[in-house]
Amino acid sequence: MERTESGPRRGARLAGSAGRALLPIVAAAAILAVLPSIWFEDSPYTTSLAVRALVFGAYGIGFNLIFGCTNQLFLCVGALAGIGGYSTAIFVDRTSLPIWVGIAVGTASAAIVGGLLSWIAVRRSLGIIFTGIVTLVFSLAFANLLLGRRDLTGSETGLLVTGAPAGLADDQVGAYYLFAGVVVGFLVIFRVLQLSHVGWAFRGLRDDEVAAELAGVDVARYRIYAATVGSAMIGLAGALYAYSSGFINPATYAFDFVDVRVLVLVAFGGLGTLLGPVIGAGVLAFVDEQLSARLELREVLYGVFVIAIFLFLRRGVVATVVDLFNRVVAYLRARPALRPSRE
Amino acid sequence: MRAVILDGIVLGLAYGLLGVGMTLVYGLGGVINLAYGQMVVLGAIVISLLMDDGVPTVVAALGGVLATAGVAVLLDLTLMRAVYRQRGEERTLLGLLLTLGVAFVIGGLLVSRYPAGGLYISISGEPISILGVPMARGSIWASVMALAVAAALLLFFGATTFGRGVRSVIQDEIGARLVGINPSFVRTVIFALSGALAGIVAITSSMNGPLTVNAGFELTTFALIVTVVGGLGSVAGAFLAGLLLGVVNTLSANYIGQYITSVILLGAAALTILIRPRGLLGR
Repeated sequence: MERTESGPRRGARLAGSAGRALLPIVAAAAILAVLPSIWFEDSPYTTSLAVRALVFGAYGIGFNLIFGCTNQLFLCVGALAGIGGYSTAIFVDRTSLPIWVGIAVGTASAAIVGGLLSWIAVRRSLGIIFTGIVTLVFSLAFANLLLGRRDLTGSETGLLVTGAPAGLADDQVGAYYLFAGVVVGFLVIFRVLQLSHVGWAFRGLRDDEVAAELAGVDVARYRIYAATVGSAMIGLAGALYAYSSGFINPATYAFDFVDVRVLVLVAFGGLGTLLGPVIGAGVLAFVDEQLSARLELREVLYGVFVIAIFLFLRRGVVATVVDLFNRVVAYLRARPALRPSRE
Repeated sequence: MRAVILDGIVLGLAYGLLGVGMTLVYGLGGVINLAYGQMVVLGAIVISLLMDDGVPTVVAALGGVLATAGVAVLLDLTLMRAVYRQRGEERTLLGLLLTLGVAFVIGGLLVSRYPAGGLYISISGEPISILGVPMARGSIWASVMALAVAAALLLFFGATTFGRGVRSVIQDEIGARLVGINPSFVRTVIFALSGALAGIVAITSSMNGPLTVNAGFELTTFALIVTVVGGLGSVAGAFLAGLLLGVVNTLSANYIGQYITSVILLGAAALTILIRPRGLLGR
């Protein structure tokens, strides 16, 4: 896509394939854009659920980039989002600079922390499991710090995050469009990475790390690269969420609230796929709403989801359903051709 | 100071006992059982239900141990079969994710069914003075049980034929198969043992204070820290790491502050992975 200068014909072909590559994103953007006016614009409650689904979709895209594309099990999505949210809120509070500066600081902090974690994991050549344990331990330590540094974080009482533009905090529809924009932006970044040389490296190192390394892919560099970009996405979403909800406390970014859902929704949608996290977030929001009165049963259902997905549907529910659909279509198409040969 | 260290030892023995059940399964089959804390809670709930029905405490405790061992065998015969079909890292990852799911299922069911459930086994009697420090009887009982379990496990792995067979599977699965040991059977037995240990943890930790239905996640976390610091599959390592972390915990909680203490313990686990990934006594 970046190399359209190499001759007009090649340019046209690439533009065509780029158009096709962006088609799912355009479709998703269109659906996200019309959804409020045809469904829930007049219900603040449903809108706020949709906002949360989009926030989790955004977390999911970041996590997908890190785990789905480069096999680094980052069990610290909540902590990274919390770093984004808390450092933004504390920075703006202490310096009284405009909140956009604060959000940039929050995003950068999350990106740096995520990049550092990945750098450590790569340098010590931790496998997927030890990366998972180290990041899990990091999440729990971060949660303890949030509780302990009462002077900075307000501990369990939380922090009021004020100063958001009027359309964002009060009006949930404004927040909806903001996060819809964020999700679409993340999808575009994800797609561009997939189509560029980075995407080739990602696929190579995910399929066979050693082979990729032998073929000249700098596995370490691309891992750190993915972790930094993914963590920046998660941090940005966390920071914006702090402003749209107007209040944060450790529970907002808790491991058992954020990470588990993100893992479930990304696995549901299909690891490493473009739209998987968004579809997963939508389905999960729907399930949540249906079971909102029975929180514990929701936990049970998440558990069953996780077991069923990883036991039977390793590629994700969406891919499996699409596959099944394709097979049925192929079967229906093939039937007339088969019939004569049978008779 | 002396009291703080003694408290640390009591806590450390509890940590060691908590970690040993997880470390055995990890060392043997490469499965990190993230449902371990929930299994402990399950044991506690079973015991408290039995005690509510008027069953004597000792019998109820036995019932709890049998129940958790049963759940462990069930897990091994169903979900873990799929896990053991994989090899290496893929196996550990699948085990991690499936047991995470199991943790949610058990935890969610218990919390929804017994929202106020929990277990507290109170040991009555005057505190006993040890080295001039009065210690609660419950803590002493719990520590004695932990020591007994540690001794029994070390004896089992060191001196019995079956225990040696288990160690051979830990060392080399294919080699063990070649000399006529059935790794799958050994894994089932060890999984059951790990489940029984979860039941014993439920008993001992409810002697020090009430064990509530929500404690699962925290228990799993501590078991994981002890496992990582102690070394995979090492019984002695788990108890050594438990003692070390227990003493560090009480010292730091006493002289520095509670939240820093959790950070220190978690930091110890992270540092162990980074500096010595096989743990204190791991191979």
